Amino acid sequence: MSAIWATLTRELRAYFLSPLAYTVSALLLLVNGFVFWIIVAFLNDPRSGGSATPLDLFFGQTLFFWLVLLFITPIITMRLISEERRSGTIETLLTAPITEGQVVVAKFLAAFALYAFLWVPTLAYAGILAYYSDVDWGPVAAGYLGILGIGALFLSVGMLATALTRSQLIAALLTFAMLVPLFSFGLLEMLINDETLRQVLGYLNLWQHMDELGKGVVDTRRLVYYLTGPALFLFLATRALAVRRWR
Amino acid sequence: MIEAQNLSRRYGDFTAVDRISFSVNDGEIVGFLGPNGAGKTTAIRMVTGFLPPTSGRVRVAGRNLFEDPVAARRELGYLPEHVALYPEMRVNEYLAYRARLEGMSASVAREAIPETLADCLLESVREQIIGTLSKGYRQRVGLATAILHRPKVLVFDEPTVGLDPKQIIAIRELIRKLGRQRTLLLSTHILPEVELLCDRVMIIDKGRIIAEGTPQSLQERWKGDAELRVELKGASPEAGEALASVPGVVRVDAEGPAFRVRCAPGADPREEIFRLAVARDWVVLELAERRTSLEDVFVRLTTRDSGKEASSPGDESAEEVQG
Repeated sequence: MSAIWATLTRELRAYFLSPLAYTVSALLLLVNGFVFWIIVAFLNDPRSGGSATPLDLFFGQTLFFWLVLLFITPIITMRLISEERRSGTIETLLTAPITEGQVVVAKFLAAFALYAFLWVPTLAYAGILAYYSDVDWGPVAAGYLGILGIGALFLSVGMLATALTRSQLIAALLTFAMLVPLFSFGLLEMLINDETLRQVLGYLNLWQHMDELGKGVVDTRRLVYYLTGPALFLFLATRALAVRRWR
Repeated sequence: MIEAQNLSRRYGDFTAVDRISFSVNDGEIVGFLGPNGAGKTTAIRMVTGFLPPTSGRVRVAGRNLFEDPVAARRELGYLPEHVALYPEMRVNEYLAYRARLEGMSASVAREAIPETLADCLLESVREQIIGTLSKGYRQRVGLATAILHRPKVLVFDEPTVGLDPKQIIAIRELIRKLGRQRTLLLSTHILPEVELLCDRVMIIDKGRIIAEGTPQSLQERWKGDAELRVELKGASPEAGEALASVPGVVRVDAEGPAFRVRCAPGADPREEIFRLAVARDWVVLELAERRTSLEDVFVRLTTRDSGKEASSPGDESAEEVQG
């Protein structure tokens, strides 16, 4: 346990000692700020009809949200194992009393903590809305739950990619290549006539997940998805690290 | 302390390490000696648990390295061939991280870190960022990482490679000090290092252990027949023939102003040669037995296969060492 904690804190420190955390944070805030401004401007227009859950639009109902997510999660995870392999620090790490699984979990938790931290400033948007009108906090909490769930899923995919290669660039590209289908398969739902297949794709439709959560609908099936998905990818990452098919 | 049984590692068709077995006893310093590419690093990496072997078993301090890895690794301190560190951390920060990774309690770490910094002569750079350290200091930080948690077994892969002579002396001194208290397996291709530091040597070539013993016993066993260097002043040109007629001399070759005299097994014709020189009124400038160094043993053993092309006239040793 102390080995996990030691590795987790070391990773977090490394994030904040490099420009990466700040760059990603700035990018995320820039895009989110823009989205928030558009939403407020839109809902303030009498023709829009307003909304009972204004932040629903913010939680995943614009393409910006997804584009940013698809970009920042590979950047957060790409370094984690690839860099240790490239530089050789993996050798002293994996000969220390820590298992491969613990290494993967520690690094994943560090990435997840950074990711969660990046969203903290956006709480201000809810605060601003609450100042000018009433905010139903249930859907807001559910929306953030969705952000954390999808983040966990995406970051775990990134962990698998970074465990597979010693190149950060390839790790990022590989993550992106896996995330794009993971995200867009669900969107094919509307193009499918076969009932069973449509239900499967509907289950995977992340856009719809966020829509429901943003409206305050918490479906346990979604939560199971956000727990089992990361568990699967972290398990695969652990296996990839354990076989050590490198010289 | 370390027991390796039938360790093999294959990469596709290439066998880097081929069924080697060895053990390192408590308190021993054992050297792995071999040319570059002999399989030393692969063997070391399997012994430290970094590389899973294709077949075979390793026990460290009585624990199976691949069935009980965490407990076994706790007893192990490892200095890899390429010391890699996190460049953004400070030296003391890094050691504090390693202490927690090794599961040391805060109070134990508070004592161990300054002690290790002192042992490795790192006190002056403890606040420095690792990325700004010179190679020699980084090597010492690597060494500090290996000994910080006071493991029973130390494994060092080429600990002095890439250092300047002064640093080499300092590191060897430290290794010698550590070796008095702990079990140490050391790999190197530098021969004086082995002669200087090790109780026992294993010569590894093409993935196999081809010889094993104390540095002295290896020299004894592989020394071949004695060879003398004789330099005479005032000797006539036919002195070589005269020397060849001395009992116990097998062959004489001129070597610049001197002669290289090869002797029959077990023979020591130095006295006869001296008497001959006195009788002929030659002044003996040099009459010395050429000692077999570990280096000769090493070169003979590791060039056996390619020896046919490499052997020069008068160098038939390639055949003799087959036994």
